[in-house]
Amino acid sequence: MTSRHDSPGPAPLVAMRGIVKRFGSVVADDHVDLDIYPGEVLALLGENGAGKSTLMRVLFGFYPADEGAIAIEGRPVAFGSPLAAMAAGIGMVFQQFSLIPALTVLENLLAASPRAPWWQSRRRPAVVSTLRWLQRLAPGFDAERRVQDLAVGERQIVELAKVLNLDPRVVILDEPTSVLTPAEATRLHGFVRDLAAQGKAVVLITHKIADVTACADRIAVMRRGRLMDESRLADRSPAAIVTAMVGATVAAEPADPPPAAPRPLLRVSALSTSQDDTSCPAADVTFEVGAGEILGIAGVIGNGQAALAEALTGLTRVIAGDATLDGASLAWKGDRAPPPSNAVAYIPERPLDNAVVADLDLAVNLDLRNLAGQDFFAGDAHRNARAAALLARYDVRPQNPALAARALSGGNLQKLVIARELSRTPQLVVACYPTMGLDINAATAVRRYMFEHAARGAAVVWFSEDIDDLLAYAHRIAVLHSGRCVGAVPRVNASRDGIGRMMTGIGSRTRAA
Amino acid sequence: MLLELPSKPALSELKRYARRLAPALAMVGIFFLTAAGFFVIIGKPPIATLADMAMFAVGDSYSLSETLVKTTPILLCALATLLPARLGLVSVGADGQLFMGAIFGTAVTLAWRDAPLAILVPAMLAAGIAGGAIWGLVPGFLRGRLDVNETITTLLLNYVAALLVNALVYGPWKDPGNLGWPATIAFPAGSLGTFFGTRVHAGLVFAFVIALVLGVILARSRWGLELAILRGNAKVGRMIGLSFSRQAMVVMALGGAFGGLAGICETAAIQGRLQPGISVGYGLTGFLVAWLAGHNPVIAIPVSFLVGGLIAAGDSLQLFAKVPAASATILQGLLFATALAVGGVSARLRRAHG
Repeated sequence: MTSRHDSPGPAPLVAMRGIVKRFGSVVADDHVDLDIYPGEVLALLGENGAGKSTLMRVLFGFYPADEGAIAIEGRPVAFGSPLAAMAAGIGMVFQQFSLIPALTVLENLLAASPRAPWWQSRRRPAVVSTLRWLQRLAPGFDAERRVQDLAVGERQIVELAKVLNLDPRVVILDEPTSVLTPAEATRLHGFVRDLAAQGKAVVLITHKIADVTACADRIAVMRRGRLMDESRLADRSPAAIVTAMVGATVAAEPADPPPAAPRPLLRVSALSTSQDDTSCPAADVTFEVGAGEILGIAGVIGNGQAALAEALTGLTRVIAGDATLDGASLAWKGDRAPPPSNAVAYIPERPLDNAVVADLDLAVNLDLRNLAGQDFFAGDAHRNARAAALLARYDVRPQNPALAARALSGGNLQKLVIARELSRTPQLVVACYPTMGLDINAATAVRRYMFEHAARGAAVVWFSEDIDDLLAYAHRIAVLHSGRCVGAVPRVNASRDGIGRMMTGIGSRTRAA
Repeated sequence: MLLELPSKPALSELKRYARRLAPALAMVGIFFLTAAGFFVIIGKPPIATLADMAMFAVGDSYSLSETLVKTTPILLCALATLLPARLGLVSVGADGQLFMGAIFGTAVTLAWRDAPLAILVPAMLAAGIAGGAIWGLVPGFLRGRLDVNETITTLLLNYVAALLVNALVYGPWKDPGNLGWPATIAFPAGSLGTFFGTRVHAGLVFAFVIALVLGVILARSRWGLELAILRGNAKVGRMIGLSFSRQAMVVMALGGAFGGLAGICETAAIQGRLQPGISVGYGLTGFLVAWLAGHNPVIAIPVSFLVGGLIAAGDSLQLFAKVPAASATILQGLLFATALAVGGVSARLRRAHG
C-alpha cells in the first residue's frame, strides 16, 4: 500500500534507502525507504517501539545502520556521530533532554552555540543571537532561570531553541507535543509550519493524530519496524492513519458515568504550599473528590500541579489548610513529614527523576512500596517472582526484572511506575500526566487501570495536559492557574474553550464545587 | 576482541570470567611496569628491586606479619570511608576518627590503669569505638540536618583531632618519666593479644569480621537496599518513608566507629602508648582503598592487604636496599593512579562494547 511521492516537486533533500537496524535479535527497522523534502512537514507516525525514533536516530548519526544507504541532495553520506550529522545540517530534538540542569537557560544555549569560544562570551550580540529562536518560540521567557527549575514543557522549548540555533536544514522533533499544553502545542504547530515555510524539512515523530492533522503535509506510518503507509495527508482520513498505526481499529472506550451521590473521600481545604521551592506553589486550593469520582485537573504545566500533587501525597510541606482522606490528614504540616500512606497511589511527572531509582533493578523499583514491611534479610526470590508477574501483566518491556530502571524507554518506565502504584488497592490515586509518552493502546490500558480504582470506590485526582482526554473521561474538571484552583465543573458543563480560557487565567474564579 | 572464542556455553562462561579478570591483570602489569620505571630512574635494578619488594611483603612469616599489621588500620579506615559512600557521602574523616578513638580509649586506660585486663580491654575498645563514632556523628548530623558538606567538615575535624592528640600528649597526659618525650605512659602489655609472637593483634580479626559481616549486610539486607535507594534518588526514598538525614547520621557514626577502633587498636597494640604520629596516613590510604574496592567491604580486604604489603615492603626496602624513604608513598601513588586509570578505561570499553 506504499504510494511513492510522485508529485513533480523538488528532489528529496534526504533519501534513506533500505535502512535496517537491529538490536541483538530485535529488528527495529526493517528495510525502510523514506524521503524527506525541503519545505515540507513529514509526520512519522507509529506506536511505541514501531522503529520511528530509531530510524531518525540512524539519520542523525546516533546509531550506525546495519544495512542501507542515506543520501543528502543525491550525495551518499554516512554519519559516524551526531556531530557529523549536525555539521551536515541535521538537527534533532529528543524526548529525553540533553540540557545541563545546573546551568541557566542562557548558559545552556551559549554552550551549545557552534562558534562558542572556550570562555562564555556575554557580549550583547552573542547573547541576542543565541536567544533569537527562544524569543520567537516563547516571547518573554526568562533565560536566566536554571534548567533544573523549569517545567518539562519549558525544557522542551529550550531544547528546540538549542537545535534551531545550529541553523539545521532538517529538523527532527521526537514526540514534541507529549509534554505541551494545548496552547503550547498549537503554538508549536504554527511554528513547525513556519519552519517549513522557510524551506526547512521538518520531521515530526509522533503518535498523536492531532499533531498530524494540525501541521503535517505528508505522513509516513511505521509499524513493527516497517513502513506501512506513506502518502499526502489530504489522501488519508484520521481513521485510516490509526488503522495503519495499530493494525486494528481501537474501539473508543466508553467513559464511566460519574457516581450518583458520592460520599466525599478527599477533602482539600484552603491548601497552600510553601514558597521556598522555585516552582509555582499551590495557593488556597479547595476541592472535594468523592468515592469513585475522577477529578481531572487541567492547566498549563508549571502552574502548581507538582506542588499540589506533592502536597496531597505528603511530600511537600503545607503552610496553610489541609488535605484529608476519609478524615485522616495527608498533609505534611509540622517539622516531620507524615509516614507514607498505603492508601495513596502516586504517579509523579518525570518518572525517572521522581518515581524510580534509576540505577537499581526493576524488581527493587517495583517493590519500593513494600520494603518497609519486609524482613531484614528478605532475599530476592519472592521479589523477583512478583516483579516478573507485574512486568508481564502491565506489559513493561523488556520483561527482565534484573535490568536497571534507566535502561527502560520513557513509555515503559511510565508503565513500570503504574504497575507499582496501581497494582495496590489505594483509596486515593494521584496521577500526573500518566499517559504521557505512551502509544494509543498503552494509554488506553493506563486509563483503564486508573478508572478501575475509581469503579472500586477510590478517589482519583488526574493531572493531564490533554483537555480532550479530560473531557472524555474525567467526571469533573478543575483548572489550576498560578497555583489557584479556578473551578471544578462537571464534565457535561465543561467545554474545551471554557477550560482553555481558564487555563490562561481569563474568566472569573468560579466557585469550587 | 582479544577473546574471540566460539559461543559454546562453557566457553562463554570462561569468556565472562576472563573479561572480569582482564582489568585486574592489566592493572597489575601496568603497575609493575611503572614501578620498574621508577626504580630505573632512582638507579636501582628494577627486576631485582621488585623481587625484593615481593619478598619483603610476603616472603617470610615476619614480612607477612608486618604486612598484616599494616593491613589492619587500612582496612578499618577503608570501611569507615565506604559505609558513608554507600549513601553517597564522601567522608575523608577516617584519620580524625582514628585519632579520636585513640584519645577516648587512652582516657579509659589512664583512668583505670590498675583494673584487670578482662575489664580494662573491653572498656578501652568501647571507648575508642565511641570516640570515633562521635567524630563521625558530628559531620553526619551537620549533613543530615543542616546540609553542611560532609567532605569539608570531616577534613577539618581531622586537624582538630590530630591537634587534640598533640595537646594531650604534650600537656596533661605526658608521662614525666619520658624525660620530655611527648607520649603517655605505656599501655598494659598484651592488651589486645598477639599471634605467634608477631605484632599481629586482635584488631586484624575485628577488621576481617566487620568487613565480612558488613559485606553481607550491605549486599543482602533491607538496610543495604535502603542506602542504595537514598543514594540513587533521595526523593523516592522520602516517598517511601526513608529518612536521608537519619541514615546520614547512622552511616557516619558507624563508619566513625570503625575508624575509632582502628585508632585504639593501633595505639594499644602497635605503639603501646598514645603519641603523635600514630597514623601514617592510614585514613587517606583507607579512603583510596575504599574507592579502589568499589565501596565493597569484601573486596576491600584483598586491596587493603595489597596496599599494606606495599607499605610494609617500602619500610623494609628503605632499611635494607637503601631506597629513599618516600619510595613507599610513590609506589602507593603509582598503584592508585594505575588502578583508577585502568578502571576508567575498562568501564569505557565495557560501555562501548556492551
